[in-house]
Amino acid sequence: MTITFLIAPDFSPERFAGWHMLNTALQRRSGVHLHLVTPATAHEQSEVMATGQADLVYANPFDAVDMIRTQGYVPFARPAQRFDEMVIATGSESGVATVEDLRPGCRIALTENRDVKLIGLRLLEPADLAESHIEWVHVDSYQAAARKAIKGEVEAAFFLADAYASLTKLTRSHLRVLVESAIHDISHVLLAHPRLAGDLAAIEKAFLGIGQIQGDVELLDALGFPHGFEVMSQEQAEFMIDLMDTLLD
Amino acid sequence: MRLTDMAQPAEPSKQSRLTYFDGSSRIVYVTDLEVPFPQGRLIVSSTDLNGIITHANDAFVEMSGYSRDELIGAPHHILRHPDMPKVAFKGLWDDVAAGKKWHGYVKNLRKDGFYYWVYATAVPNIRNGVIVGYTSVRRKPSRTRINELIPLYKQWLDQERSVS
Ligand SMILES: Cc1cc2nc3c(=O)[nH]c(=O)nc-3n(C[C@H](O)[C@H](O)[C@H](O)COP(=O)(O)O)c2cc1C
Repeated sequence: MTITFLIAPDFSPERFAGWHMLNTALQRRSGVHLHLVTPATAHEQSEVMATGQADLVYANPFDAVDMIRTQGYVPFARPAQRFDEMVIATGSESGVATVEDLRPGCRIALTENRDVKLIGLRLLEPADLAESHIEWVHVDSYQAAARKAIKGEVEAAFFLADAYASLTKLTRSHLRVLVESAIHDISHVLLAHPRLAGDLAAIEKAFLGIGQIQGDVELLDALGFPHGFEVMSQEQAEFMIDLMDTLLD
Repeated sequence: MRLTDMAQPAEPSKQSRLTYFDGSSRIVYVTDLEVPFPQGRLIVSSTDLNGIITHANDAFVEMSGYSRDELIGAPHHILRHPDMPKVAFKGLWDDVAAGKKWHGYVKNLRKDGFYYWVYATAVPNIRNGVIVGYTSVRRKPSRTRINELIPLYKQWLDQERSVS
């Protein structure tokens, strides 16, 4: 039997090799054959989900809400000490010094990432800015978002915090961080379809064991999860969903 | 757990006696000093069905001025500011007990008599169809909205006082 392992499309392209290394290690250690599926967009991900074939899912927290509460997916692990945070930045020459300086009608560059957009919107509330007050400028990459902010084509740009940190030093020197989230409670989560019940123990053990064998350091480094994986219980996931519910006004 | 009277702050403060929903009461001291909401963070707490605090994140502990030990097991009205009208909390309790999400602007009182404004959302924790507790998440609020609400809260408070 082959298990389909779907990875949410919101990881940076340089992590691609890391996911393949992880997949290989998991197969070897669990004895379960895994087929990695890496949709390029949220739309592609929902097409795969709609076929009902995703057995294991590395889900972003917002998609996890529906997967857990309506589709019955079971949470079992998450990357340890690695939370979903975001950055709102402006061009260093823009004259915008705080979030409150952003005004209705301002242009904000963002990628397709829904968690980043949602958390960003919450961080704009102190400036009395709601979704409809903003002229959204959609871009394909965080580099493109940075370029637009630096050139003054937008007043601000939204970034996944990790992606912001991986911009070059030169790029960052032309940007100014207005606010960075430090929520800590919200993370991606590993989910299993209930039909996996028989294999889940072996798979879970393999995930949690990553980091304990020589060579795992490179794997975790490639993935960008230096602390490996940790257990996430059903209750911890439910609690995270309650938190997210409070952000989804 | 019954709350003891607050310690009087070093800064100039006003004393008042708050009587809570459960019939208990205590003396609180309020100063005119505001602590700004911490940038980028969310203040999170959970309670049991009776409003007793069961979980508080680090931002909650820091902003309240209490230690985590003082908070866990205490009634959530430990943060109640005398400028907050009761009717605001009635709305909160009615909504979450009915399984609904509630939003509102809340002025909270710290242990040191300082205050902080939040935009709060409270949700019931529903597990297997049963409400097992409540969680509230606070965000940095809009100053414009707070300034609009201050006179309204004052009016509600005056109404409450004239009835009692
Ligand atoms: C999840 C949750 C969070 C709450 N957070 C606060 C709060 O931050 N500040 C506050 O004054 N009351 C809060 N309350 C309401 C209090 O339980 C209480 O109703 C209120 O302070 C008024 O006190 P009283 O009901 O004893 O009169 C919260 C209630 C719940 C269920």
